Parts: sequence; structure tokens; C-alpha cells
Amino acid sequence: MKKFLNDPVNFVDEMLEGIYGAHKELTYVADDKRCMVTAKPKAGKVGIATGGGSGHLPLFLGYVGDGMLDGAAVGGVFQSPSAEQMYQVTKQIDQGAGVLYIYGNYSGDIINFDMAAELADLDGIQVKQVVGNDDVASSVVGEEHKRRGVAGIFFVYKAAGAAASEGLSLDEVTRIADKARSRTRTMGVALSSCVVPEIGHATFSIGEDEMEIGMGIHGEPGISRKKLAPADKVIDEMMERIFAETDYKQGDNVAVLVNGLGGTPMEELYILFRRVAQLLDQRGVKAKHVWVGEFATSMEMAGASVSVLHLDEELDRLVAAPANTPFFKHFAS
Amino acid sequence: MDAINASDLIRLFETWKSLFAEQRDFLISLDGKVGDSDLGITMSKAFAAAAEAVAAEGEAAGISKLLRTAGATMARTAPSTMGTLTATGFLRASKATEGADILGTGETAAFWRAFRDGVAERGKAKLGDKTLLDVLDPIAVALETAAGSGEPLAKALAAASDAAERALEATKSMLAQHGKAAAFQEKTIGLQDAGATVGHFLIRSMAEFADS
Repeated sequence: MKKFLNDPVNFVDEMLEGIYGAHKELTYVADDKRCMVTAKPKAGKVGIATGGGSGHLPLFLGYVGDGMLDGAAVGGVFQSPSAEQMYQVTKQIDQGAGVLYIYGNYSGDIINFDMAAELADLDGIQVKQVVGNDDVASSVVGEEHKRRGVAGIFFVYKAAGAAASEGLSLDEVTRIADKARSRTRTMGVALSSCVVPEIGHATFSIGEDEMEIGMGIHGEPGISRKKLAPADKVIDEMMERIFAETDYKQGDNVAVLVNGLGGTPMEELYILFRRVAQLLDQRGVKAKHVWVGEFATSMEMAGASVSVLHLDEELDRLVAAPANTPFFKHFAS
Repeated sequence: MDAINASDLIRLFETWKSLFAEQRDFLISLDGKVGDSDLGITMSKAFAAAAEAVAAEGEAAGISKLLRTAGATMARTAPSTMGTLTATGFLRASKATEGADILGTGETAAFWRAFRDGVAERGKAKLGDKTLLDVLDPIAVALETAAGSGEPLAKALAAASDAAERALEATKSMLAQHGKAAAFQEKTIGLQDAGATVGHFLIRSMAEFADS
């Protein structure tokens, strides 16, 4: 597998040095580059922190900035950061209004964010948590609490980040994050595997003519492996699962995120979006906000995911609000 | 002794530190059979740092504050799953003993009940999953029973230690459901759980400490 590397052991730290060099609006605390915080904290605002393994850029670090997040702790590739790192970020971003953690449903992340919250509590910092679980493929209806968090967490960041920027309280920002979480559904498909730099070979093997529906963003197995179909058929199958557990009505608005996993060209992502839009249109549902690109990747995995957020008036306003982060810029719409 | 005061507690952490230094290689080999062999390293590091931190804090801080320092220190120095679970146990024990000048039987029962509940909540394991919880639960129950019948501390801890030993033995017949060991399920049959072993070590040495 060809990669631009020096020593694979330094993959994460060299990546971080590059990011800090390029984006002066970001800095770090506790003398630890893996504890990223905004260099421009806003007094009195609810702080929002996230975190998780490296290997998913722009996920986590990339959304620290105006209108989104205030801090992020990252671990090694696909590994949770420590509770101590999350706690350091928490202490730094608390502006007296408390801190909300938004992260994905993975046991290492849960145990460490939980611990960080307990340490922060001892310091008198109020912390709330919302755990993203948008991946429809990772567990059945009724067992949503077991579902993984994947690209759809972007919508949770966006809504909660905008709410915090409006000056809402920790309880309110948490309520909004939880609402965005509960109204987001994601389905993914992989055409090739990711490669963890320190391991150096594919995490799973898949035939040239095969696709894996519903895989996880660390290469976790999906729900079915089959012969690669035309793009429209792939989207039909994925959207069928999303439609099956949502109650979109004629005239409803949604936000759509078509996310590349690191190894798929933008052109192909737009081919996928084209079909998503057709299917929504057939149901009289309007894709009011649309983003197509790379938002939560899995190293060089070829593949894509589709996330849909069912909007209401409040979420519509918050998703439309401006944001300015190193990896995501949005003008008020 | 009938009760553990703050100065005793500092010495108890010193005892735990020596214990986990001695048992480091044993825990590494136990964990290595079905896990990633870091347990011995985690525990010896966690208790060495905690013992140092509570000694530096001094007895004037009182029981609850010392336990909080121990828990927070462990969380920082040993951020693996077991390190975090043990840290949680001590932080919760700290809350449960707020305002207590000494640990008599009643306070010690509250200490271990909170420790048990904290580990259960954070680790999300159920009884019978072959984890630390399978030993912590009988410890809490034994101490509560002893407190209910007014047993002195040394006797209560001896009973809890015996209960923990039986519970540890019982983990041999359980199927691992959590952590890396869960991937080995059948292979874990016949092996005592590494995390549960830590629980047994903690209470056994606390009982010996109270008896000395």
C-alpha cells in the first residue's frame, strides 16, 4: 500500500503539526498537540468538545472553529483519546457556562468521556453528553442505543454549535444536539478497505467487483456483501433502509450529507447525490441543505455514506447559520 | 483495628502499591492469556502514583479528599479500561464517604457499595459477565450484611475477603462478555478473570491491613 509517510509511528503527531502550522486559529493545551482548542474562545458561551480516534479527517479536529466546536481530543488512528486529554480540553474551553460533549457511540470513547466528565465535575464544571448513533446498519430498530456514530454527527455539531453561538444555555444546547441526533440517519457503503498506517495492510479484503453495505468507519463488517451494482441501485438500497424508519411527510424539509470515505472522487459522490435527490423528490421531501464532500473519512477507504437530518423549524435555522472552521466554511443561507 | 482513619488510609495505599508491584508479572501473564497483557503494568502504575499523591496530600485532607486524590491520580496515570474503572471506584467511594472522619464497618460498606456501583455504571457490565464486578458485588453485599449486624471492621473485611475469594473462583466457569477477552469467549473458561483478580487483591489486602 502506497502512502506518504515518514515513520508510521509519527503519523498522528506529524499530521497535527501540519494542521497547527496551517491554521493559526487553532492551538492546543497541556503541552499535548492531541488536545486541540480554539485560539479564540468566546466569553460566556457554552463550550462544545468532541473527540475520537485519528484517521477520520475532517471529523473531530476539522470542526473546531466559529459556529461549531471549541475543542477536540484525538487519539491514535482509530483509538480513543484518554480521559485526561478530554479533561484538559474541557477545562480550557469552559467559559463558565458548562461544556457539552458530542461524540460517537464507541466503548473506548464512552468510558473516557464519562471519566473526563467526572473529573470536570470535581472542578465544578458542568458537563453534559450527547452520543451520536446515526448508523442505521449497526443495529436494528428498537436497539438504536447500540448503533455506531458515523458521518451524521456532523449535523449534531452544526446544530449544537449554532445554538451555542446564539448564546443558549447548556440545557438548551444539549436539547438541540439530542434532537439533531435523534432525527439523523446514515447508511454507508464500502468498495475497498482502509489501511491503518502502523499496520500497513488492508483491514479487510473485498473483491474487485464487490461492495459492502453498511460497513463501519473503522472497517467493521457491514450487513451484506454483494456484487457491485450501478450507482442508482446502490443508493436505492441504502435509502430504502433510511426511509423504512423515518416518517417524512410530503412537504417536509431535510438536510442531506453525501460523504466520501477518503478514496472516492467528488464526481462519484455527486452521482450518488443525484439519485438521493430523485428519491426524496418522489416523496415530496425537499433537500433544503445539501453538502457533498468528505466530512468523516476512513483513511483511504473507497466508499460513501448518506446522512439525512429530518428538519423542523428550529433545526432548519441552526443548520443554516454561518460557520467558519479550518475544514468547513458556511455562509448564512 | 476497629476503624481506618486518614493516616491509616495513606498507609493502606502504600500497602496496595507494594501489592501491585509484587503482582505485576502475575497479572501480566493472567491478562496475556486472553487480553493485551497491560493489566499488571496499569495497576502497578496506578497504585504507585496514587500512593505517592495521597502521601503528598497528607492526613489533614481527610478520608474523602484522599480517596478523590487517589481516583483522580489513577485516571490521569493509567487511562486504560481497568485503570479508568478503578479510578471511578475511588472517586465514587470519595463521594460516599464525604464527612466521614473514619472508616468503620458502616462507612466501609458505603465505600465498597459506591465503588461497585461506579464500576458497574461506567463499565456497563452485568453480573456474570466475568469482570471485576463479579467480585465487587459480593464484597459490597458482605460488608452491608456485616454492618447490619454490627460486626467490627476487621471481622467484616475478613468476611468480605472470603466472599471475594469464592466469587473469584466462580469466575472460572463464566464466559467473558466484555473487553478483549470477549473475543476469546470459550478460551476464557477455566481461567479466573484478570479484572476480578484485582478486586480480590484489593479487599484481601485491606482485610489483612485491618487485622494487623
